[in-house]
Amino acid sequence: MAQPRVALWATEADDMDEDLQDMSLGNYGQNGQYDDTLFQQPQIDEATLMAMQQHMAQQAAFAQIPDVVKGFIVHFHQAVLENNLPEITVAYESGWNKYTEKFYARTEWPEAEVIAPLVNDDPIFLILYRELYYRHVYSRLQPNIDDRFHSYENSCELFNYLLNSEGPVQLELPEQWLWDIIDEFIYQFQVFCTWRSKVKSKTDDELTMLADGGPVWSSYSVLNVLYSLIQKSKINEYINAHQAGKTPEEIAEVVGEFGVRPLYRHLGYFSIIGLLRVHVLLGDFTLALKVMENVELNQKSPYTRVTACTVATYYYVGFCYIMLRRYPDAIRTFVSILNWIMRMRQYHTRSYQYDQISKTADRMYALFAICNALSPSRLDDNIANISKERYGEQFMKMARGGEDAAPAFKELFLYACPKFINANAPPYDDSAAIHALLDQPSPDPSSTEFGESFADPAHRHLSLLLSEALAQTSVPTLRSFLKLYTSLGAKKLANFLDADEEEMVQQLMVMKQASRSVTHVPGGKGLLDGQTATTSDLNFVINENMVHIAESTVGRRYAGWFIKNTERTQRLYDDLKNQPLAVASKTENTPTAAVSVESKVARSATPKVAWGAVKA
Amino acid sequence: MAASWVSPPTRTELIEDLVSGVDRYNPSNLSILEDYLYHQIRSQEYDCLANLAILKLYQFNPDLYNPDIVINILTKALTASPLPDFNLCISLLDERPINATLDEPDPLPSLLPTLKRLNDLLYKCRFPAFWEYYQSDELENLRDNYTVECVGFEDAVREVAIRAVKATFTRISADRLASYLDLNGSELTEFVEKKGWKMEENVIVIPPNPDNQIEATVVQENIKLAQLTKVIAHSAGN
Repeated sequence: MAQPRVALWATEADDMDEDLQDMSLGNYGQNGQYDDTLFQQPQIDEATLMAMQQHMAQQAAFAQIPDVVKGFIVHFHQAVLENNLPEITVAYESGWNKYTEKFYARTEWPEAEVIAPLVNDDPIFLILYRELYYRHVYSRLQPNIDDRFHSYENSCELFNYLLNSEGPVQLELPEQWLWDIIDEFIYQFQVFCTWRSKVKSKTDDELTMLADGGPVWSSYSVLNVLYSLIQKSKINEYINAHQAGKTPEEIAEVVGEFGVRPLYRHLGYFSIIGLLRVHVLLGDFTLALKVMENVELNQKSPYTRVTACTVATYYYVGFCYIMLRRYPDAIRTFVSILNWIMRMRQYHTRSYQYDQISKTADRMYALFAICNALSPSRLDDNIANISKERYGEQFMKMARGGEDAAPAFKELFLYACPKFINANAPPYDDSAAIHALLDQPSPDPSSTEFGESFADPAHRHLSLLLSEALAQTSVPTLRSFLKLYTSLGAKKLANFLDADEEEMVQQLMVMKQASRSVTHVPGGKGLLDGQTATTSDLNFVINENMVHIAESTVGRRYAGWFIKNTERTQRLYDDLKNQPLAVASKTENTPTAAVSVESKVARSATPKVAWGAVKA
Repeated sequence: MAASWVSPPTRTELIEDLVSGVDRYNPSNLSILEDYLYHQIRSQEYDCLANLAILKLYQFNPDLYNPDIVINILTKALTASPLPDFNLCISLLDERPINATLDEPDPLPSLLPTLKRLNDLLYKCRFPAFWEYYQSDELENLRDNYTVECVGFEDAVREVAIRAVKATFTRISADRLASYLDLNGSELTEFVEKKGWKMEENVIVIPPNPDNQIEATVVQENIKLAQLTKVIAHSAGN
């Protein structure tokens, strides 16, 4: 243990003397006396003194680290050095969380400088360690302004190392961790922006630091990282080549020395998803879908292995569709991921991110309810039922229209929407402007300018959805009347509704408009592409003053059921046929054989039945 | 969105590169996009994604913000109803501190509620109310300084109404259509003729189109060959 640490302290470029270094090696924790004598030496200048004090504090901190944690860090470092993915995965997904629960549930992990001796001062491992350190601070504790700035600097160091080294770096990390790096980077950006926009709660120190903050967590710097990773990895070229069915050699040719390495390829892909998310947070829903142009949304994608990434992708894509008024596409997106989450439940309940996944799923059930109220669909009864179980009351209000609808839309939208951010900071660098904001009595700095709803970007987006929903508020009532007739005079309908005839005709035009939507068509290139389609089973037309109505119905579907059962029977038959026949002389074994056949068949058949039931 | 919305045929290659590449973030390209907007205004063209790229640059560079451009973009987006263009633009208008770099007071805060209301009236198909509000004294500023510059603005609003009428009606009374289009008798006759529609005794016949043809149907199940591959493959194996 002692030898590597010698090397490491020797590399430190401060002016601590030889004795001090030796002491730090062996006797950490029991050295009070020795240090006292050092302190009394009068010729030590202040800088040295501070360095020593810091050093001693680190020693004390080091001494407090439990031995198992030290062992864990050494082991973790070794695994990273060797690019041993299975070992890294174990340390990352299980070890880190285990020791967090045990020792650091309410406090920070030891600082990177403190554990540096354990890892030979390996700068790369220390960056990765800090990545975990700050992530833990953000998730379990309350980050202070130093944490916020330093976690940004650390992320920049990591991305600099990856992007600006000479040639691709040799490091390898598990996909899950790479996703978490990108995910956490954007999460910290988002919480920083939210925190930054609250001017009033800042201390003087914080105001000064924010004034001098410069590019820290600026939208440009975050986008820059994501675009750089995408370009360096040539991930879009990779995806296109892959879809074109090119051979691995051809693909390697296309993507170059960075793109062939899994680390860069994964980071490139996750950066596309990261961009999708950042654009949504900034309110740019078209650009969000545009960056996804090359990504095929299907569950055969190799990236479904990282569950959290798949779930996030569908959540943000679905949300974009809502804001683009493409409710059928949003519904389709949510249905497909919610079914997938349900099927995969047995696997990801074990994942340390299970909580996060089920929270996102719950928000998607809420968004599904919103879409289904605005554009009723029968795409998937199973998901619709779960959504109604959870949000039945709100769904009823939204679907019925009228004045109860708005509060229900608001409640579900604010619960389920992404955590929107403002792209720019309040003017911290302009002390006159910032004090003007601070002196305003209203908690909302710009209420005088754009109205209250503009202070919080989520409310700005909510007001857009609400204006949309309220425009359609008479549709459910009209629909329920039209369903009863095949033709009906406009005047009579207006009388039923106790409404002005001309106004009602205008509402009918709104209803017609609401029953058409741009929808993605199979084979369409990119997520923005689509064609106008009818979304309602109730169709009508006005001939001067007479409304004619036609309703379409869907015949019962039998084929799926028969196909599934035919396949099942075929499998059963094959299994039976392939069983060795019982030998006559061993009659006593026959029942056992039969039982084993039966149990085998039952085993292979069971999951199929469950899936069938889900889809039926 | 239809392909022409994602990429209008009138978009030049230069603009396409800006809209689809990372150069869209470069503030020095702003003037190209702004010139393109003025071109759209003069030539009755429309390119939503290019205009959103301008708003994106304003979002990231508040010092470049130009309220007149924003108002022009919103005016153009109004006539895309019922597509969500107007709301997509609003989504990008971040909260901004009072801008001291402008020489004149920012006209946007006072015009924004007006534009939103116009958008709301169009989206709710309340066309007669739209015209009444649009022509009111209150909106003189908007008309005289902005929509007058936008060539064919009123005709573009009429097209919004026409889209709604075409989808909903097979026949519509001339009075009703006139109120939707804000046209009087002879103007309406001319308009209807230009469209090639027939007028019969004060009723206008809307030609059949996919949205005003209704038919009660029973959607029957369609089995695709792919669904049967396993079953067929199995039979072949035996």
